[in-house]
Amino acid sequence: MTEDLHDTSPEAFDRQVRSFSFWFDSVRDYLPSEDGRVLPPDDLPESERDTLITILCSYVIGETMALDGAGALILSAPNREAKIFLATQAVDEGRHLEILIQRMRELGVSDVDAELKVRANPFLLEFQKRLLQLTSAGRWEHALFAQNVILEAMEFATFHHHLGRADARTKAILEGIVKDERRHIGFGENELGRALRRDAGLGAELSRLRMELDYLVLGSFEHTLSELRIPQDERPVLKRSYLDAVERLGFA
Amino acid sequence: MTLDSGTTRAQFELDDRGFDEVPRKYRKFYRKWLGDDADELAPNEVLCPVCKVVVRSSRELFEGDRIYCMACMTRMRVVRVNGRLEGQVEY
Repeated sequence: MTEDLHDTSPEAFDRQVRSFSFWFDSVRDYLPSEDGRVLPPDDLPESERDTLITILCSYVIGETMALDGAGALILSAPNREAKIFLATQAVDEGRHLEILIQRMRELGVSDVDAELKVRANPFLLEFQKRLLQLTSAGRWEHALFAQNVILEAMEFATFHHHLGRADARTKAILEGIVKDERRHIGFGENELGRALRRDAGLGAELSRLRMELDYLVLGSFEHTLSELRIPQDERPVLKRSYLDAVERLGFA
Repeated sequence: MTLDSGTTRAQFELDDRGFDEVPRKYRKFYRKWLGDDADELAPNEVLCPVCKVVVRSSRELFEGDRIYCMACMTRMRVVRVNGRLEGQVEY
């Protein structure tokens, strides 16, 4: 019989994909590096520079939030495998933050914090405050839902859409980030899917949280999509990919 | 390959399609999805509903098979929806 990955037991699969060695072997070939893969040269037209800086400000806020959130979640994670996975996620978020700030500097931004103050997406800033409250409260499922389902799905959908129309250098950066986001979304969805099976009351609590956060998520989408100048008729498609994730978990 | 039920499954030699998001030895089990209009799934392939990557097996897939998406760490069962095989997330 041919050896097939899909013959692995579910327990062995979960253990493997949440390990640091799996993470390292997964990311090693798509990270930009001095001696290996390099980013393409900058071909951004000068007329689009200012718009891209504004968009990158939103991404920097999102990744800062994700880094804080992933780090804070380690404390309330229910087992060692989840803690180890979140450690790999925190490393991913830190790398995203670093490379996005580097891109802003390439575009001529000398004071990143000053730009964030004037260009920040207000919906995202409000989401950041709420996520911090949830992670500080130490409620694992609520914080994980906000971080790894809602925030990650929002980022995944936005980055995926943006890279289709981005300059070559920004596109290469976003492609790398999207690859990481797949793991983060999958971890959140799978953890919560199992928790929802164990706890009948959890679904109603997370539905309320989703309704509360939807205003900020959809507002944030609108703000970023306007900056990206994405036509109105394409926007429902982007929101759909976010809504698919929450609906698979039963929060239609 | 013949199953206990007497059903025969086609076998497939998997090749590396350049999917670089999982460790090298598992890359042949995955490929990028090109979209509804440009892509057709083979009998040994299923689309991951979570991250939209094509999951591949070395044998023909049937309803009820368990498959894994390493790109998003999801376990799935193969189900048939409107005549097409799809992955249903198994939490």
